[in-house]
Amino acid sequence: MMTQGRILDSITVDIMENALKNVKEEMEAILFRSAMSPVIREQHDAFPMITTPDGKMVVGNFGSCVREVIAERFPEGLSDGDVLLMSDPYSCGGSISHINDMMVIVPIYHEGVLVGYASMFGHVMDVGGPEPASLPVKAETIFGEGFRIPPVKLYEGGKLNRLVIDIVQANTRMPVEIYSDIMALVASCRTAQGRVVELCDRFGRDTYLTALDALLDRTYRMMSQLIGSFLPTEPVSFEDYIDDDGLGNGPFKMKLTIWREGDHGYFDWTGTDPQSPGPINYYLSDNMFKMFIGAFLISAFDPAIMFNDGFYDLLHIITPEGSLVRPKFPSALGCRTHVLSRLFDVLSGALSIKSPASSPAAGYGTSPYFIYSGHDQAGRYFHLMEVQYGGLPGRPNGDGFDGHSWWPAFENIPTEYLETYYPLRVEFYRTGRDSGGAGYNRGGNCNEKMYVCLADGKVSIHDDRAKIHPWGINGGRYGSCSRKVLIRNDGAEEELGSKVDGVMVKKGDRVLFITGGSGGWGDPLDREYDRVVKDVRRGLVSVEKAEQDYGVVIDRSTMELDTAASDALREKMKKERGPVKDFDFGPKYCA
Amino acid sequence: MYRISIDVGGTFTDVVLQNEKNGKIYTAKVPSTPKDQSIGLVNGMRKICEQTGVSLEDIRSIIHGMTVATNAVLENKGACVGLITTAGFEHILHVARSWTPAPVCAWMAFQKPEPLADLELTRGAGERISAKGEVLIPLDEKAVRKDIEDLYARGVESLTVSLLNSYINPEHEKRIRSIAMEINKDIPVSISHDVLPEFREYERTLTTVMNAYVRPVMQRYLKNLEDKVKQNGSSPRISIVRSDGGLMSVDAAASIPVNTMLSGPSGGVTASALIGRQTGNLNVISFDMGGTSTDVALTLNAVPRVSRETRVGVFPVKAPSLDVVSIGAGGGSIAHVPITGALRVGPQSAGADPGPASYGIGGTEATVTDANVVLGYLPGNLAGGDLKLDMEKAREAVQKIADKLNMDLYQAAQGIHSIVNENMLGGLRVVSVEKGYDPRNFALLALGGAGPIHANGLGILSGSFPVIIPPTPGVLSALGFLQANVRNEFSRTLIDVLSAVDGNYLADELGKLGLKGRQWLNEERIEADKQQIDYEVDVRYFRQGYEIPIRVQLAELKEKGAGVLRDRFSRIHEQLYGFKMDIEVEIVNLRAVATGNTPHVELPCKDKGGPDADRAVINKDHQAYFNGKFLKTPVYDRGLMEPGNVIPGPAVVVQSDATTVILPGFKGEVDEFMNILINKGVEQ
Repeated sequence: MMTQGRILDSITVDIMENALKNVKEEMEAILFRSAMSPVIREQHDAFPMITTPDGKMVVGNFGSCVREVIAERFPEGLSDGDVLLMSDPYSCGGSISHINDMMVIVPIYHEGVLVGYASMFGHVMDVGGPEPASLPVKAETIFGEGFRIPPVKLYEGGKLNRLVIDIVQANTRMPVEIYSDIMALVASCRTAQGRVVELCDRFGRDTYLTALDALLDRTYRMMSQLIGSFLPTEPVSFEDYIDDDGLGNGPFKMKLTIWREGDHGYFDWTGTDPQSPGPINYYLSDNMFKMFIGAFLISAFDPAIMFNDGFYDLLHIITPEGSLVRPKFPSALGCRTHVLSRLFDVLSGALSIKSPASSPAAGYGTSPYFIYSGHDQAGRYFHLMEVQYGGLPGRPNGDGFDGHSWWPAFENIPTEYLETYYPLRVEFYRTGRDSGGAGYNRGGNCNEKMYVCLADGKVSIHDDRAKIHPWGINGGRYGSCSRKVLIRNDGAEEELGSKVDGVMVKKGDRVLFITGGSGGWGDPLDREYDRVVKDVRRGLVSVEKAEQDYGVVIDRSTMELDTAASDALREKMKKERGPVKDFDFGPKYCA
Repeated sequence: MYRISIDVGGTFTDVVLQNEKNGKIYTAKVPSTPKDQSIGLVNGMRKICEQTGVSLEDIRSIIHGMTVATNAVLENKGACVGLITTAGFEHILHVARSWTPAPVCAWMAFQKPEPLADLELTRGAGERISAKGEVLIPLDEKAVRKDIEDLYARGVESLTVSLLNSYINPEHEKRIRSIAMEINKDIPVSISHDVLPEFREYERTLTTVMNAYVRPVMQRYLKNLEDKVKQNGSSPRISIVRSDGGLMSVDAAASIPVNTMLSGPSGGVTASALIGRQTGNLNVISFDMGGTSTDVALTLNAVPRVSRETRVGVFPVKAPSLDVVSIGAGGGSIAHVPITGALRVGPQSAGADPGPASYGIGGTEATVTDANVVLGYLPGNLAGGDLKLDMEKAREAVQKIADKLNMDLYQAAQGIHSIVNENMLGGLRVVSVEKGYDPRNFALLALGGAGPIHANGLGILSGSFPVIIPPTPGVLSALGFLQANVRNEFSRTLIDVLSAVDGNYLADELGKLGLKGRQWLNEERIEADKQQIDYEVDVRYFRQGYEIPIRVQLAELKEKGAGVLRDRFSRIHEQLYGFKMDIEVEIVNLRAVATGNTPHVELPCKDKGGPDADRAVINKDHQAYFNGKFLKTPVYDRGLMEPGNVIPGPAVVVQSDATTVILPGFKGEVDEFMNILINKGVEQ
């Protein structure tokens, strides 16, 4: 590869790639060990990035906004020792997509020359507004969610701008935690800064910068091959729905149409419903969507490759202004994870229309939250926000995972941690039998968790897929819907919506939190008997479902397989059913 | 009298015999016997006794490092384990921590191993204990008895009990163990409070289940071993090496075998600390490069760092162990070129079968070893001359990579060599920079058959000098065991904010744990004046996720109060993360570390001679490839070297268990303990 008249051998590029990967891991290690927000620390809702001098991402997960932020807000450029802080999605083209994500950007200089930026964002516990955790489900504009930080200098020339911290701390319910989290983000970026300078020292600055270009170029070439082999030349469309927006509106359609022209891919959201009055809008940055498409395609081929912006010129995104995925300022954005997650179901569906055997089914399709706040017996304010998980879809190469995280590298919160630090008890925490759609590869089961509140307080719930099922693919069946029930101390039961705030709970009340299951992949009548029997013996599938959906007859008292009866049943079912469907969307609405 | 230390590895069993009077050391190597490791062990003892004319009866103690437990896990050969947990939490191992890998979409290809206790053999007990330790629901003994009977009828060979919040109150776990023993006293029962009385239920359950999984295998093995040693007519004390480098008795190993998961690697780390001391380098990063992986560890101020979480295969195990980070880069790592045109090395490995192409036993894919053969870094034979390396096969394999990369054979080979160095640097950073240590303040010590080939190159990347090549890099673990002390930890979780805790109370609670430690040392027959107890408190900011262990003395806690912990914690937090906070600090775990000091016999040393090493040259015209060209690179026989010798780079030094490469511009110096110390040389 030629740059500045120099030839850089590909080995040096490989070495640089490894070195940058190590830097990214170090950034995460520093953050997770020093942050306070359990959502960052225990659940890993945080994302690192390193960019080129002109802001292209060379390492990271979620795409870069550095170029736009610098151009619009700091046209004069930054200086060594500056640190930017921001939380406003509308000031960074949606690179962070709700105000709970604090993002830090640090310019990196080597001998006075700009060589790139390090950036990290993480989900902090509270940024003000009417509801604890700052994700009000009834917000109608972003002003009703909490405070926003436009890109500002947290440090200028190495000096902390204390006023920024003062203003932030004055506007949150958790001033100590937010300070710690912001400083942890800065510490993490400073680490990257140091490492990149070391790389420039070691290889020479020109070699470092040339290698970054080579890394971008490498992804470009690979993606052009993937587009050529995966995207159809004729446009194909796929649709899925979000239940509602928490204000009674919905369902909301998401529609994606894709095609290719040569080695260029086109992704068109035309046909997606207009933005919602409630906060479920997702400001989908073009760059981030390109990154998602790349992630989806790359996962199958060279998972060791480092994601970067190199292939962006090959993808063309059409997003109607004022739609659910490109809302206008000042729309509320707090609860955007439903659309953000569902986007992958739609993408998967669209890419698989010509080849349903090669893509997974649909999953629990959102990021369910349980939020509980109040004052404990000692009078101390507490505030819990727990991210829940559900069924991961059946997929070409195996069953979906039961009660696992769709979000990369997230983890659940230990029950012993919850019970030590918050006035609550967990009565059970398991995956829901029969909630995964039947399939040759079974859809993953949902989570079922029963919380017992031990103090008076307030609960919020965020979830979706309460009305519209996760679909099955390639002959696989649909999965179950999500559900929430409030059980009062006296035994009275109340169904709760999937998006509610301000549920006042008393000591002794219980909340049953059931997330969505997921769809199955492939014909369940082809699933090997021993796999069905094992699921039944493990309690993941009932004897009834084994018979009804898999055509497998199991003796209830001995738990032994009746092979002859199963053979006969399967034959009969196959005859009555006819050929399998490519997609099984289930009943239109959950009962 | 003599001591013997034995390291049973996957391929070879290394034996080191030491004369306790003069410290003299003898080594031997015999093939391992994977079906029953004790056969190889006894063979090794016999061989070394024959070689040295020592009678078996004169061997007073045997120190044994092992891979019995680790192999049982890695090869799925453990027991059929049943698990009793709290009702409502039966899916604890099935869900694990809900984790799937990054980045977005990577779950699509994720393959997750089955838990070591099947969900089918998991039962929920009717019971509940609160986070404060109160009994909320009494144990349903009748139901649990029925469940255990049922599990045993289904073939469970080892039982685990791990209940919610049992770290704070083990009453129910203990009761269930009694019930299980009544039903069948021959089936071992592991309860989580005994194995790991710390909070976070998944990690505690997993560690306990792993203990149960390897326990019958370990018990059979240890019984076998004792019988065999007795048959030989001797009755030495047998000590088992723990993952944290300490020693324990056979009985202790039989009940908590999960403490031996990193038994083998810990010997190398202990030995590195010893050699570091010898050479005046108290800070050492050691890397042990074998066929499929490299273990990296850090020794600060001559003390290897202890970690409380390690990984066995994919399972995170919480047991005290030396902080060893394992990465998938070894001599057998395979080079490949995916469609992006990048050169990747590992993590797939050719292992011992089919092995690298140059072994000539069926391998065709280019490995790191093959690249080293092509580059001229491995001129001789491997494994003491038993294995002749096939240069032609190595060239063929590496050429295939070169073709895909569109470069010449030697550039490709150099690329493979450099990339594996870079991968190892990643592991080295995890133990150093990520923990707040600058690798430039450390020496680098190479272990394992493949380590000394890469040591000089890795030292340049990390800036760690001198690079130390010990006299026997391939059998260093066994040597390290001779330095081990008897050691164990006694801990409990006690969560409270520091301001609410009285220093005297804390000292009392620590003292109780210390008493347990003394009791254990007595059981291990350690004399009172050799006993040592150290105290640690794990501290963090209120509700922060990770705690930092702080050393403390009981006297200072009593005198100055619990505040001393706060000051020490703040200082370390600032050093690690660059900031400290003016908020509440809380304690999480209390720990007493019990050590029984065993006599260390210093290694013998020779007087220094002159710098001239010409007599050790066995091939002065050898050529090897560095930075784009072949250079004349003399081959030296390490056995012919003497203290004081200086070897100018480039040079290759061969010996039976390893090969050392000294790069152009560097020089190796032999010290009085026969270590080679590599430093930057004068320009020639």
